[in-house]
Amino acid sequence: MYGWIWRHLPGNAWVKALVSLVLVLAIVYVLFQYVFPWAEPLLPFNDVTVDRGMGAVR
Amino acid sequence: MTVRSGAAARSGARGRPGAGGRPGGVARLVVRTVSEVCVTAGTLIVLFVVYVLFWTGVRADSAMDGEIGKLQDQWSTGPVAAGTPGATGGQPSGPGKQPPYENGKSFAVMYIPRFGADWSKPVLEGTAVDVLKKGLGHYGRTARLGETGNFAVAGHRRTYGDPFKDFPRLRPGDAVVLTDGTTWFTYRIDRRPYRTLPTDIGVIDPVPRESGYSGPGRYLTLTTCEPEWGHSHRLIAWAHLDSTQPVERGRPSALTG
Repeated sequence: MYGWIWRHLPGNAWVKALVSLVLVLAIVYVLFQYVFPWAEPLLPFNDVTVDRGMGAVR
Repeated sequence: MTVRSGAAARSGARGRPGAGGRPGGVARLVVRTVSEVCVTAGTLIVLFVVYVLFWTGVRADSAMDGEIGKLQDQWSTGPVAAGTPGATGGQPSGPGKQPPYENGKSFAVMYIPRFGADWSKPVLEGTAVDVLKKGLGHYGRTARLGETGNFAVAGHRRTYGDPFKDFPRLRPGDAVVLTDGTTWFTYRIDRRPYRTLPTDIGVIDPVPRESGYSGPGRYLTLTTCEPEWGHSHRLIAWAHLDSTQPVERGRPSALTG
């Protein structure tokens, strides 16, 4: 998988390393900005109220 | 028969590397891809833990500081709303006299010396998930600050800045101090935190069930999750309004002493 990506990146080894670094940073950014905020409420840490059922009705 | 099959097996065994190394190459590719997927999944999980434990706290701290800053700007510049109940010394105000708090907006700052001298969090209207990311949430159906009834507030115990991390350390007599810009309200905790089920909405009633209060009064209820990282139960703390004083007279003794 990673070997395949590395082979398909353009340029020499230095350019490839730079492009992969940018790719990694972009993926981490997307994860922290969009994916994790979506996934986090599915975990139980947000349940701090006693009227979640009532709140849904209101 | 046996000789023949043995020879076939031998020739098959010999045939494998002879076929250009492809079967071995496929196995290697599969093993490598599977391990790469595993490493990727592990990295994702570590990143998610970093997000939950660290990054939500960083974001929440800056959001809470922003809310407190906004409130202080508002209080120092804008015209101060006159006549909060309790400021006049205890005449119960009629229901509906004050407009309800605006949903999602901060309207008060809470101080709990037990959680640390510099512990202060904004209180926002509503208990939606998005609201609780920016501070503590006031249950919309419950009383206003200082009013007769129950001023109920929910907060995260873990993640998003861990505002109620030390919740079990609350003891009878501990002060919970709030200000809405015109008045300081000092509530006093009346009993150790009470553990209950998430469906037990009686704990935020005007006279909270199981609290030991027998008649109407000016109460405060704090709720958070129990156990620390779970959601099977809730932890509740009750307090009664002990004293009020206008902001012009400075901070209440619960904060200064």
